[in-house]
Amino acid sequence: MASPLFYALSAIAILCALGVVIARNPMQSVLNLLGSFVALAAIYLLSGFQFLAAAQILVYAGAIMVLFIFVVMLLNLTDREEGQPILMGLFNGRVIGSLAVFAGLAVSGLISTTGNFAAVDASAHGGDLDNMESLAGVLFSKYMLPFEAASLLLLATLVGVMLLAKRERSGSQDGGQA
Amino acid sequence: MNVPTEHLLILAAVLFSLGALGFLLRRNLIVILASVELMLNAANLTFLAGARAHSSVGPLNLDGPIFALFVILVAACEAALGLALVIAFYRQKQSVDIEAAAELRG
Repeated sequence: MASPLFYALSAIAILCALGVVIARNPMQSVLNLLGSFVALAAIYLLSGFQFLAAAQILVYAGAIMVLFIFVVMLLNLTDREEGQPILMGLFNGRVIGSLAVFAGLAVSGLISTTGNFAAVDASAHGGDLDNMESLAGVLFSKYMLPFEAASLLLLATLVGVMLLAKRERSGSQDGGQA
Repeated sequence: MNVPTEHLLILAAVLFSLGALGFLLRRNLIVILASVELMLNAANLTFLAGARAHSSVGPLNLDGPIFALFVILVAACEAALGLALVIAFYRQKQSVDIEAAAELRG
């Protein structure tokens, strides 16, 4: 019953992803990315992953997108890029890129020819495939170590980002620390 | 929603290859980071498609959603760190074009 909705959302996600790649203006690119995130969140919701859909909206469409837009506006990027050939170096970027797309399409074709196309349905678990109670139970028992490692990663990122984005002191030639 | 798992996987493959395309073709650092996010999203969709396929027969499979959660976390860290690098790079070169970072080219 919800299948047409799924295919419509897939089309939106793919078109927005295409927009990310081909948009000239970085701001358009980032806004297309937002569209792709939201369409994917809706697909998660349709598939029965309610918590993941919420996390996708909160983290991707909220936090990460704000960061991207903030940087684009901070650097005041206009469309003064990409006048020249698109990639440097020995290999032609178009060749590599086309190969990447063809590889992806070949994988899709392989999946679609070998799969048995059994329709899967989340109704066995009341349509909720990531029940938050059981999710928390698994996260704080089986995945306790990765969870703690994740908190360490967040802390390291926090410190690293502050160090990287900090403006250097203008008169730092007199032996100030980095 | 009764959609075959294969269709979710195909969507993920298409999104991933579009992300790879953007990563390889574009020269704007911000767009390159956006393409990486696109690829991570495709990976997430693959995790969830697998979890959904396994949950439809047996007990609830929670490994997929947990890993998707970790991928979201790593993506957030990666975006923050990457954009901080972009700002530091812009400060040095007044540009976000990867063409400007060619010091190590032989």
